Amino acid sequence: MSTTAQSSSSLASSSKFKAFAIVFSIAGPVAYCVIQYLNWPLVTFWPATNRLVWGYEGGLTGQGPNMLWYGWTLNALIIAAVLGIIAMLLPARITDKIPLSLLWILPILSIPYVVYSLMPWWNLAAGVH
Amino acid sequence: MRDIISTNAFWTIWLFIHLILALGLIGALTHQAMAVAFPVRQPSTGIVTRFRAVSAAGYTTAVCVLWVLTYFVGAFIYTKYRIYIRVPLEAGRYYKTGGFFDFKEHVSSIGLVLLPAYWYLWKNAQNPQYDNARKGVTIVLALMCWFLFLVGHFLNNTRGFGS
Repeated sequence: MSTTAQSSSSLASSSKFKAFAIVFSIAGPVAYCVIQYLNWPLVTFWPATNRLVWGYEGGLTGQGPNMLWYGWTLNALIIAAVLGIIAMLLPARITDKIPLSLLWILPILSIPYVVYSLMPWWNLAAGVH
Repeated sequence: MRDIISTNAFWTIWLFIHLILALGLIGALTHQAMAVAFPVRQPSTGIVTRFRAVSAAGYTTAVCVLWVLTYFVGAFIYTKYRIYIRVPLEAGRYYKTGGFFDFKEHVSSIGLVLLPAYWYLWKNAQNPQYDNARKGVTIVLALMCWFLFLVGHFLNNTRGFGS
């Protein structure tokens, strides 16, 4: 067995990694939706000028459009990772009680919110201003 | 690189790379989702049965790698989309198209964060305790992938390759 396969299999049998992976993936969709709702990007990118700034920056004339998606995703990854690391520190008897069905229920539940968050687009399409 | 080929060719190549990675991802995820949703009980020679009868666990790491690569290449070409595609779309009042692209970006990030659990559940496929969660996550990821692929395809038809 190769070294890569051994490390992969030891990761798959690790209870710490299980706690991290489950909590990271459960928390991730929620964190992403909350961050997007609060408009809390880690960074803002201005593609016309290739400028990257910390946090949110908007409404600048002569800079072109801003991009917040990178910043939202980075913040969601950080929050999910922090929660995953905290879960690794908890005893397995606690993390084993987390319902695994949340792994697929929460992403499905996040979709109606995402559609709602895009209401400005749908309003423009419907001619509502 | 951009001194050797034109700017248009440069971005078109990246768009093609994004497409090829997405094709690999959609194929692997669809095989896996079909295998868990409709497991084959008896061997058969039918093409649909053989499509479902794959060794689903073998696709797991490839799916994770392909999702991440497709995501990063998409994130790279997104900078050009924001200026050269979205602005003309808005000017042309293609609001539904623009809205669906934003929908796509959110779905791709939500799918990305599911990958660690997806990988863990498939690497422990012998544990029946994870069967339902593994099936649910795999089907959700496959549906997300199809949505991302179709929106990307329609968007490319609206203002993509050759525009």
